[in-house]
Amino acid sequence: MTTAKGAEAGGGLWHWLTQDTMDGLRRRRAILGYLFLLPTLLGIFIFTAGPVFVSFGLSLFRWNIFKPPDFVELANYERLMGDVRIAISFGNTLKFTVLAVATQVSIGLLLAMGVHRITQTAMRYYFRTAFFLPLLMSGAAVAVVMGYIFHKEFGPLNYYLGLMGVQQIPWKTSADWVLITIVIMSAWRNLGFTFVLFLGGLSNISREVLDAADVDGAQGLRRLWSVTIPLLSPQILFAAVTGVIGAIQVFEEPFIMTRGGPGNASRTAVMVLYEAAFKNIEYGYGSAIAVVLFLVILAFTLVQMWMSRRWVFYQ
Amino acid sequence: MSAEKKMSRRDLLKLAGAGSAGLVMSGLPVKVIAQDSVTIKVQTAGLDDNTLQPVADIMVARHPNVNVEWVVLTGIDHEEVAAKILALVAAGESIDVGYAATEACQLFAGQGLAAPLDDRVTGDPDQDFWTDFFSDVHPSLVEAMMYEGSLYEPPRDFNAANMYFNTNVLAENGFDVPGSEWTKDDFVEIARGTTKKDANGNTEAFGYAWTNRLWGSWMPWIFVAGGNLYTEERAPGGDWVWDGYYEGDMAADGRGGGFRWREPIANSPEVVEALQLVVDLWQEGVTPDIEMGSGQTLTGFYSSGLLCMIPAGGFWAGRLANEGMEKGDFDVQYWPNWRNQKHQFGTGGHWLATVAEAPDEAWEFMKIEVSHDGFQSSEFFNPVIITTPARRSYSQANAFETTGPANSDVFYGTLDDHPSTSPIPAPPWSNPMTTIFTTGTSNAMSGAMSPKDALDQMQQELEDLTARQPQYYADN
Amino acid sequence: MTANVMRDPGDVSATQHRLQVISFVAGRYVPIIFLFMLSIVIIAPMVWTVSTSLRKGSDSFTVPPKWLPTDLAVENYAEVFEKVPFDRQIINSMLITWGTVFGQLVSASLAGYAFARLEFHGRDVLFWVVLATMMIPIQAVVIPVFIFLRNMGLVDTLWSLILPAVPTAFGTFLLRQYFLTIPIELEESGLIDGANQWELFYRIYLPLVKPGLAVLAILSFNFHWNEFFRPLIFLIDNENFPITLGIFQLQGYMMTGSIAVVLAGVVMSLVPVIIIFLLGQRYLIEGIMRGAIKG
Repeated sequence: MTTAKGAEAGGGLWHWLTQDTMDGLRRRRAILGYLFLLPTLLGIFIFTAGPVFVSFGLSLFRWNIFKPPDFVELANYERLMGDVRIAISFGNTLKFTVLAVATQVSIGLLLAMGVHRITQTAMRYYFRTAFFLPLLMSGAAVAVVMGYIFHKEFGPLNYYLGLMGVQQIPWKTSADWVLITIVIMSAWRNLGFTFVLFLGGLSNISREVLDAADVDGAQGLRRLWSVTIPLLSPQILFAAVTGVIGAIQVFEEPFIMTRGGPGNASRTAVMVLYEAAFKNIEYGYGSAIAVVLFLVILAFTLVQMWMSRRWVFYQ
Repeated sequence: MSAEKKMSRRDLLKLAGAGSAGLVMSGLPVKVIAQDSVTIKVQTAGLDDNTLQPVADIMVARHPNVNVEWVVLTGIDHEEVAAKILALVAAGESIDVGYAATEACQLFAGQGLAAPLDDRVTGDPDQDFWTDFFSDVHPSLVEAMMYEGSLYEPPRDFNAANMYFNTNVLAENGFDVPGSEWTKDDFVEIARGTTKKDANGNTEAFGYAWTNRLWGSWMPWIFVAGGNLYTEERAPGGDWVWDGYYEGDMAADGRGGGFRWREPIANSPEVVEALQLVVDLWQEGVTPDIEMGSGQTLTGFYSSGLLCMIPAGGFWAGRLANEGMEKGDFDVQYWPNWRNQKHQFGTGGHWLATVAEAPDEAWEFMKIEVSHDGFQSSEFFNPVIITTPARRSYSQANAFETTGPANSDVFYGTLDDHPSTSPIPAPPWSNPMTTIFTTGTSNAMSGAMSPKDALDQMQQELEDLTARQPQYYADN
Repeated sequence: MTANVMRDPGDVSATQHRLQVISFVAGRYVPIIFLFMLSIVIIAPMVWTVSTSLRKGSDSFTVPPKWLPTDLAVENYAEVFEKVPFDRQIINSMLITWGTVFGQLVSASLAGYAFARLEFHGRDVLFWVVLATMMIPIQAVVIPVFIFLRNMGLVDTLWSLILPAVPTAFGTFLLRQYFLTIPIELEESGLIDGANQWELFYRIYLPLVKPGLAVLAILSFNFHWNEFFRPLIFLIDNENFPITLGIFQLQGYMMTGSIAVVLAGVVMSLVPVIIIFLLGQRYLIEGIMRGAIKG
């Protein structure tokens, strides 16, 4: 409608735009808004939103990129349903996600509560740096280093456990242990994140609230459960959301350290996607896996949104 | 080194392109510079593209207009490297020469990425070159580089799975290096006899170890037990090479146009028995936990005297020497006899890309690489052997004189003296096949499944995989 | 609670008092001792990495583990450059990371400003669209993106990593929050001074959200410097690799690479992030905390 008005005014587009009125100002600001958004929106459309739909389209084809694609309807999904490797890998991803997020959040919280009570600046600085440092390493570097640390016969870890009388643990080579090992190494890296997050949250909690809790005689676990955790719920939710997004993508740790083994015990959803598309050149099948991965993430996100409405307490 | 060369060449071309475009647009007459310089892109696998630099130097010395540009693709296993090559071609980048071991030879041929070389060989005016080459290369290596009747790679190197011994560990435990006719039972006796445990029952020194992959691993046991992963048939064809270059060579009798691995037979009783053998050794603590690609840890075990036996080929001689093991510290023997003494090998070489922009120059490079000059200069074989030369004359005892092992005649002897020796199964779908194989292996080797269950699952997966493939092998 | 104990110790009996002192001391020092031990466990792998990278390759496997780099075998570091084009890969990592960070700062500050301070039709819908894409990880769309990059001829170039990473839903969201905190009065006074719309953004608002830009820059630097998955797929020739893939390569075919050399590569890959961390610690930590408060 504004266009019609502008045209009627007879001053042409330029006049319409540069008019020194509130209307002109509003128009200029609106156009500026669209222009400013353009790179981001275009980029998101090409590299994120669009590909979600393209993935779905590709998943209906059989395509090895060297020959023309064959339309196969839902055959890739039928195959996916019966593929043991896929089921195990998605299961591993889910198990890993739950374990890793729970570990990161709970230990991060404990560490933050411990360090929060320390008043001496140098000591605070030391702990903050020590717990944060591993976060600076890439997942690839962590996997490489931990591959040696967790080695059954030569690894330093089993050596020190041995001194304490623990039998050699097959960290990387037993189906029972390997996921736990990957949870430990990812927690080692990501603790710094949850720790700093909770430390910040704790220092934001106002003194009065805590004093009120003291007056009520809330102590120990009860205080942790009924005061500290609710007050930290925004941070806990944030840690859980980012933790879940990160954990569902788990790839380089098992890819580098165990190659998904033993058996399929550490193979993850992203690994089977990678193997299907880029190792076995089955782009259609890989896309079907991607679509399922997308739906899993969507489900997780909806659950988290629902939980945040019900549970998170904003101070 | 090559990085700078590559950049500067690219930049020069870019500048030249931009420059000439500018000239055209400005309406000035374009001065055409006589430019017949050609760049061939050679893909090499492995970390060190310097290894082949001497071959490139020969090429450039003979053909000064040719530049050799390396495309270095690395991976932690063959599948990873093959995947990179596929991605490279899929991305529309051209290469002229690619590398493939047996694992991926039919993969590239089957996808139409590698060009058949038959006409180039038979039509080569320099027939003396090929007569000499084939007389120096065992026919089974040539056959392993064929697919549906055509040759795709002249073999450059090969590795047969033989057994390496740490001779010091053998001697400490009162054993000698066994003779060539030794058996599976002899092997088990040595493996147990060289294993040492501490008071807690943890193994301190292992009798036998291997790594989880297609070549090597426990595959040699499958062969000597009388099994295989797939039925092994010969495609028709290939007469041009057998009649043309191997006439009168007994070893060439009955060869065809490459292997066809059609039907999976991964849960046959022989294969189950072979897997049971290695699982038992692991459960007894004779073998350490098996990992995917544990090269450095196994070398560490072996060179520090904590491991007695390991399956490896000629490539290990130079590796151990580089690790500081002295000649005499280790030796090698044929694989032990079980139901038979059928050995397995993998061979490697370069293939000519169908998308090659300079196929003639690329072919010239491939010829130089497998010529006497190539073998005498390539750092794969000089100063120490880091992979077994495919040419017999470079695999003789003198090649191993400085490094050992004493029994180095075993390497080529595996081909010359064991007519049953054949390549590891590697159909055009070898990439997913290998994943299924290594997964099934570690299912059993971690105790998560019994050998029978693991192999039943492997068989099922291989059948599904095979059924999904387009027709890569013609019906007879 | 410990504070309460100290406040009025007078009216408790002596034994009780002693118990309370013990529990106070225990309550105060046991957690610290525990934290201290834990910090050693957490730092130990990094110390082991540095010291093993400085020992001879043949000593990597010694049991018991050694903690002091007795040989100072710096040749391991030199060997990294012989095994892989590490110098080249360091430059690649820098180009990829700085290119991405710069692109994100530009695109996210424009978009964040538009969402926070400009009014136009569909703004809220578009904002929700952008927010919704925040949860779609690259892994779920990597195949179409690979095919797109291939069709554009960008596979195996550094652009294949930079271009798709420039549009950032997270960065847009983060900077929008910063723009929202700036009082609107500043804008009005700017308008009275005769500033045009671009000048409002560029001269008035942008300087005020510098802390937000720093937070985005540091988080993004840490993330993209450490990236592995996209480079693994979009890059092919090892001359184009970033150092995360370089380290992976150092492990070698069938992991035959020397452990000491691999670890030397790991140590070198850490140096730039540690420098950035020391310079921008405040912003990094603030960024992590802020994400939660507003999220």
